[in-house]
Amino acid sequence: MSTPTRTREMTRREFILLAAGMGISLFGADRLYKWFVAHEDPLGEAAHSEINKNGPYWAMVIDLQTCIGCRRCVYACQATNDTANGHLWNILLEDEDTFAKPVFITRPCMHCEHAPCVEVCPVQATFHREDGLVAMDYDRCIGCRYCMVACPYGVRVFNWEENDGENPQVPTWGEPEVPRRPRGVVEKCTFCAHRLDKAEERGLIPGKDPAATPACCVICPTEARVFGDLRDPSSPASLKLAGRQSVVLRSDLGTNPRVFYLLPNEQA
Amino acid sequence: MTAKKNRLQSIGAKARAVPLFWWWVAFLLIPITFGLVSGLWVFYKGLGVTNLTDGAPWGLWIVLDLSCIGLAAGAFSLSAMTYLLGRKEYQPLARIAVFIGLLGYSGALMCLILDIGRPDRFWHGWVYWNIHSMLWEVTMCITLYFSVLALEVFPMVVELPLFNRFKRLQHFGHSVHHFAPVLAVIGMCLSLLHQSSLGGTYGVVVGRASLFRATMPLLFIVSAVASGMAFSVHMTLIVQWLKKRTLVPLSVLFEVGQMAGAILLVYLYMRFWDTTVGNYGYSPGRTEAFTSLMSGSFAISFWSWEIILGGLLAAYLLIRARQAQSVAMLLIGSGLTMGGLVANRLHTTLLAFTEPLTESPAVTSPLVSHYFPAWTEIGTGIGIVAGLTLIFSLGMRYLPAYQGEPVEIPEEAVAPTVSAVPVPAGD
Repeated sequence: MSTPTRTREMTRREFILLAAGMGISLFGADRLYKWFVAHEDPLGEAAHSEINKNGPYWAMVIDLQTCIGCRRCVYACQATNDTANGHLWNILLEDEDTFAKPVFITRPCMHCEHAPCVEVCPVQATFHREDGLVAMDYDRCIGCRYCMVACPYGVRVFNWEENDGENPQVPTWGEPEVPRRPRGVVEKCTFCAHRLDKAEERGLIPGKDPAATPACCVICPTEARVFGDLRDPSSPASLKLAGRQSVVLRSDLGTNPRVFYLLPNEQA
Repeated sequence: MTAKKNRLQSIGAKARAVPLFWWWVAFLLIPITFGLVSGLWVFYKGLGVTNLTDGAPWGLWIVLDLSCIGLAAGAFSLSAMTYLLGRKEYQPLARIAVFIGLLGYSGALMCLILDIGRPDRFWHGWVYWNIHSMLWEVTMCITLYFSVLALEVFPMVVELPLFNRFKRLQHFGHSVHHFAPVLAVIGMCLSLLHQSSLGGTYGVVVGRASLFRATMPLLFIVSAVASGMAFSVHMTLIVQWLKKRTLVPLSVLFEVGQMAGAILLVYLYMRFWDTTVGNYGYSPGRTEAFTSLMSGSFAISFWSWEIILGGLLAAYLLIRARQAQSVAMLLIGSGLTMGGLVANRLHTTLLAFTEPLTESPAVTSPLVSHYFPAWTEIGTGIGIVAGLTLIFSLGMRYLPAYQGEPVEIPEEAVAPTVSAVPVPAGD
């Protein structure tokens, strides 16, 4: 009762099928890697992202290790974007780590890839720009404040009143570069998009040249907050991210923010 | 005996030289004026005169808006039953429900106009569509359904002797009336969409743990149908009592009340499992929010209004009333159902804005807001409710469709039987 054994050459048909199958599997594995593994790594994710494929992938990196909580980024933001008192685009939250050591978290807009505010706005007054940043159209906003209800980070502020007071941070921390928003619309951090948009024309590189970089990153005295293109390995943001462990806020919500925080408990 | 009765009647006639109705209208004009003044103040000064903040951006107006729309749900459910399920005996009640519905949606639209920061851009929703937005869907449905309700009420308004000079308008009204079943279908589709989307408006908010629930649309629509039907019954009973006329046979009211009670029980069952399953274990934000709802600062109001009075007791009274033939039970039960719905919308809204948004990877942020409405919000809210009451009173008094049968319910019958109230044989 011996089992018949058969040995023969592989046919051409079988060889082609096998090769094609292996190729498809490799391609699939690569895709799977990009889907699941690359998401762990911001640089890899930016490189593979479909957003603004041939342009920059803007990101901000905030180092909780070196942030000293001086609030200069808060003041510079208020001066540059001319926001009203008590309605700041960029705020400082004071926390403690597990050893009761103070941790300072500054919080701009996250410019999420899957931004809840963009999805809920009934009139598309808040939208994704070509380069993936979340922007506001103040002429279209009806002031329903659904985006404020939806934003998981609480970054949005509403113009409850006409902003006609003096800006206490001018001129100490900067000069206003954008017009004030009218009463009754929602506003938020723009990553100083007005500076980014002028960069190419002026021959500047955002992240490296101060005039093309968000005001909060320019003023930071400890370089805890840097900006740049994650697709450019030499940008300050990429350099800072490389080799460090980073987190995004509320990653459980799947919003995929563009603001990365470097954890504070690493011994430098 | 008869002399005494005659004397009493003549005293009554003298006392009513200025009919009670006009005193009622004059009384309503006070809050309406207050509402107009505070409304104009809000439009002039902007939303800075409210107590809304960046932390609690929605408040009393949104609660009132949600309540108005929820209580107006009787219009579509009763119209659907009349014209689609062929229960013609419900038609008189459906007519009242449609009128209530029109008023409810007017109130909701007024709230929304007050609530948006740029009322001059109210039309943007129709022009700049974001089809992914729940609020856009709600805006479209509410305005479309408002037009449907206006078309349904239109034939009843042009019946007024005032419009006898405009024969073409009356003819148009009659032809619209022929399309009542079509309007009922459109109305039902629109209502099913936006009543649930209102729950969805809250349900899709991923960052607010107490709201982010797939059950929100279902809970909203089921509670709206129950209390919308109950509210129509409630208002009909009050109108019949004041007018001493029969607009809707009591048997129909008892039947609809019982149905509302049954739907309310279904809602409570869904709500029980939603809350129980949702709280099994710990989920950040949500557990804290539900703890404050069930044993914290909201607990007394939640358990009394939403669960016991507006839920269990209301359902019991509504279901039991038919068997006991008790008008009082029906009246109280339907009123409590209404209170339960308003309490539910209030708690849902306030809870969402008092729970913390978790900003830090490790620590929940101090972004816990406190909200109590300002006089401007309360004033406009009261003004809107009073205005709707005024239009409802005028409509019930003057519109020919709501004159009913000139039959007095015998006073000796505490629980009038069906036979005591002649069913109208037809127009």
